[in-house]
Parts: sequence; structure tokens; C-alpha cells
Amino acid sequence: MTATLANHTETAQRKSPIDWAAAILNGYLLIFFAYMFLPMIFMVVAAFNASPTPSVIDWQGFTLEWFRALPQDQRFIDGLIHSLIIALGVIVISIPLGLAGALLLTRLQSQATTFLYTVLVSPMLTPGIVLGATTLIFWRDAFGVEGGLLTATIAQSSFIASYCMLMFMARLQRQDIVQEEAALDLGASSFLVFRRITLPFLMPTILTAAAIAFLQSIENYNTTFFAIGPSWTLVTEIGSRMRFGISPVINVIGVLFVAITIIAATVYVMASRRKGRA
Amino acid sequence: MRGNDVILENLSMSFGDFVAVRPTDLKINAGEFFSILGPSGCGKTTILRMISGFLNPTHGRVVIGDKDMSGIRANARPTALIFQNLALFPLMSVRDNIAFGLEARGISKKVRHQKAEELLDLVALDGQGDKLPTALSGGQRQRVAIARALAVEPSVLLLDEPLSALDLKLRQHMRAELKDLQRKTGVTFIYITHDQGEALTMSDRVAVMNKGVVEQVATSDEIYAHPKTPFVASFVGEQNIFKGKVVGKENGYAILETSQGKLFGQNAHGLNEGEEAILFVRPERMSLEEKQGQQNGLSAVLERRDMEGPFVNLHMRAGDQSIAIHVTNVEQTHQPLGADQKLWFAAQDAVVMRPGELASE
Repeated sequence: MTATLANHTETAQRKSPIDWAAAILNGYLLIFFAYMFLPMIFMVVAAFNASPTPSVIDWQGFTLEWFRALPQDQRFIDGLIHSLIIALGVIVISIPLGLAGALLLTRLQSQATTFLYTVLVSPMLTPGIVLGATTLIFWRDAFGVEGGLLTATIAQSSFIASYCMLMFMARLQRQDIVQEEAALDLGASSFLVFRRITLPFLMPTILTAAAIAFLQSIENYNTTFFAIGPSWTLVTEIGSRMRFGISPVINVIGVLFVAITIIAATVYVMASRRKGRA
Repeated sequence: MRGNDVILENLSMSFGDFVAVRPTDLKINAGEFFSILGPSGCGKTTILRMISGFLNPTHGRVVIGDKDMSGIRANARPTALIFQNLALFPLMSVRDNIAFGLEARGISKKVRHQKAEELLDLVALDGQGDKLPTALSGGQRQRVAIARALAVEPSVLLLDEPLSALDLKLRQHMRAELKDLQRKTGVTFIYITHDQGEALTMSDRVAVMNKGVVEQVATSDEIYAHPKTPFVASFVGEQNIFKGKVVGKENGYAILETSQGKLFGQNAHGLNEGEEAILFVRPERMSLEEKQGQQNGLSAVLERRDMEGPFVNLHMRAGDQSIAIHVTNVEQTHQPLGADQKLWFAAQDAVVMRPGELASE
């Protein structure tokens, strides 16, 4: 047995002195990571370059000038505040809407379920421009509400709620419905069943869905750009400045976002490890 | 806690074209341990769900303690259900699980926790209140489910095969515990099971169901000794089944012509000469030596011997007829396999019935 095994390895080694599979895999990983991280590294380095146009090659000396310039740029600061307001609004609208849709689709035993599912998921497949523009026009013509933070929030929620709904559906499909029956049988009202049984079960998904809704909202450009009218968010502001050439201040925003993401991810991983150990 | 009687009046349930429960009348007495026994899909769980209020009957009604339950939802009925998978709330402590029904009734935290402690005591789980259900063993979880159901002081406790997930030893232990608890509390227990051992050992009365029909309602002894239908006879316990034709009657006995010759059995169903019939005799009613009054004699070949300890199962064959005998270890034969063996049984230990559906193995 040992002899055959040794023989086998020997022939395998003789056949290919280089392990091509491993080499290709490593090469692929190298290209993959370069593709992902090189632009980011360039962006970060350019944020510290004194050159007034973002560049890595044209090095004019190290500076923190652009970091000082950012807080003085009131439109960026306002844009950031607008983005946060919209994102919170999107969470407040999308979580209940998504949850309601998911409860309906997972509990309703009806022929209409498939149709309803298609309708409720369709905003995800609709181009963002259409969502943004139609929301703007609808609210202006129907209610006299001009484009602004409210319309942007509503337009974003229309498709972000669908994402939330899919997440809730995945969770609800794993729920043991007998638990709700047990609670009802013990005399609980439907409301108490929801509050004490269904909601606690959904809580992890609610938190994840809120985080994803937040990120989707913050980074959204298409829908927001068309729905927000004369107002602006951080992302639409960056977008419109691109037309006049870009400033290293935008790199600074990028650096801050990367830093926040890394810190948040690290804290999350550490917290969940500690929880896992407890 | 006090039990109430449960009356099913002409109760039936259909799902589309499928009739799960055919019109059924049944009276379960207050404080009774009542089992509904039947194979899976016989409609027993459907009956339970109609009593608990999770299903609305197609026809008929459920009456609990003189009150018509029609239109009353599950959360307003005086019943509590113990689910097959127990359905404990995994995110709540054992104490909160037990107190949940009281929480639903708006009882203060202090009072309901006090009550939960009493119930933990009752089911011998004192000191386990802070744990999550997942931290308990199977038997302990079982007891939490019982305590949770008893917390709402139901007059009827419904149990849907609650022991099926436990291992054999624990199951047997829990039987005694359940019976004991029922006596202590005086609550009416309606117990659903496909396990005849559970039904026979615990119940005051048993209903045997097949295909949506309650075929017999009687005490365990009665069901076992005097089954009314071929299904009940063959589903509860083991039977030797001889098929034949009635060729004579005398003093309440029928004489059957079978492949094993003429056999005598009780003619409780009043069969007439010329009718097709089945004769049932239980393996423990057969003996290897002729005793007084045993009119029926057969000869067979010993095929297999299963030593069970205190008793021995002998498997015999006579032509195409297989015969099983249970004898005590003391009475057993030491004949080698393949040996011819005489068998005997008394006419009063055998029952003759008209052919009908038998329980499949």
C-alpha cells in the first residue's frame, strides 16, 4: 500500500516538474488583487500629492492640503449630510415595506403569489434613471412636491425595499411556523406573536438589511441624480464636479470612506469573534 | 386545574376532494386520559387541530365543557397543545417559555415568574429557568413543553405524538410521567399517537382510527381483547390471521374451514354458514402443549426462534400459512429448527370476523 502510494507520487512529480494548476491559480489571484486594489492605492497616494490634479506619477511633494480643503467645502459637507438623511429615510421606509412584502409572499397561499412576487421585485430590474425620473414627475404632478431629499428617499426606497424583501423572504422561509401556532395556542394575540416570536427571529436580518439599505442608498447615483431635483448628495456632487475636472479633494473623500470601511469591518469581525467565544 | 369534557358532534374535515375525517361523534370525559391511535395519515392530527382551533371543521362542531367552540380561535380556547416538535421558543429562556401564556394574558412579570417556578418544580426542572431550551436534554425540553402548556391552566391538554422524538428508554419513562401528571392535575388529556404501546399503557380509553374513521373506542384491555374490526384487530398488537369460510355454528362459536383444517372461534359478529371469514388469534394465546379446552390443533414447522429474554417468539410455517407464537422462557421448546411442532389454542381466544381492511405491516 505504502509502496504504491510512493510510486504514484513519483510518477506525478516526474510528469510535471512545475505545478501548473497552482501557478495559474496564484497568477490569477495576483491579477485579481491588483485589479481590485491598485486603483485604490493610486487613489490614496494621490490624495497626499501636492499636485492640483490627482496624480501618482507627477509627484509634487507630500501634503495634507486636500484634507484641510474638504471640511471647508460646504457643498461636500451638505452633500454628506443629505446622503445620511436620505439613507436613514430609506431604512425607515424599506425595512417595513420589505418585511410586509416578505410576510405576504411567504404566508399567502394563493395563485396570485407568483404575480405579486414579480411585481414586488420589478423595481430592482427597472433602470435607476426610470425610477428616479418617474418618482420626480409623479410627486410633482400628483402632490406638487418638488424634487429634493424626500423624492430621492422615496425613489431609492422603491428598489431598496425589494432587496430587503428578498432578504426577509430568505429568513422567513427558514422559520418554523409551528412556533407561531404554539404562541397563538397559548393565548397570544397576533400582535404579541409578531412582537415576541416573529420579530426576534427576524432581528438579525433586520440589522443586516438596514446596513445593506444604508450602503445602497449612500452609493446610489442614477436614481438619486434624477429624483433629487436641485438638491444634491455627496455622490451626485462628486458626479457633477467630474465634468469640470477632478480635484484631489475627491480622493480625500475616497480615502476617508476606505478607512471607515476598514475600521467598521475590523470592529465587526472582532465583535462577532468575541460573541462566538462567549 | 380541572378538566372539561370534549364532545365531537358529527365532526368532519375535507381538504378539497380528500376527506381527512369522516363524520365522527365522540365524547371524551372530563379528567380522562384519552388516546387517538392510528397509522400516519388516518386523520388523528386533523381531529386534534380541529379541537385546538387551528382548523375549522367542514361539518359538525366541537363542544368543550358545554361551550360550542365554533368560531372561537385557537388563542381563545381552553385547550393547550403540545406539538410534535415541541415548538419551544428558542430565543427565550425556559422561564419565559413557560410564562409566555401568562404574558399573553397580561399577567405581571412577578406573578408569572412565580408561577413558572412552581411549574418548573412540578416537572422537576427547578433551577433550570435561566437556560435556553437548546441547553436542555430531550427529556427536559419535553417537560418544558408540558409546563408551558399547563401554565395557562387549560381544561384540555392536547398532545400530538410528543414522545416520538425521544429514545426508547426515555419514552417509556415519560409515559409514566405523563400519566402521573395527568392524575395530579386532573386535566383532560387527548393524546395522539401511532404507537400502540403508548396508547395502551397510558390511556383510560383509546380510539382507534383508520382512514378518517374512528373504528373503535374502548379501554385498552377491551381494544386488545375484543377488537371490533379486522383493522383494529390487526393494528393493535400482533395477530395470527387465518382466512376461510364458515361451515358451521354452535353455541356462539363459528367453525371455519381453512387451509389448516377446521378451526373454531368466537362468532361475536354473528356470521352465517357460507360466509367468507377471518379468524384472529394472538400469538400469546397459542401454546405448544395441549391444555384443557383447546379445540384447535395445528401442526407446523419451526422456522425461527427469537430469544427476547423473558419470553421467546417462535416463527412457524404450515404450508403458505405463517404462524407466530409467544411463549415464556419457561414454556419454550428446545426443538431444533425445521422440527415438526404441534400447536394449540382455545376457541374462546380466537375471534371470527367478516373480511375487511387489515393494517399493513
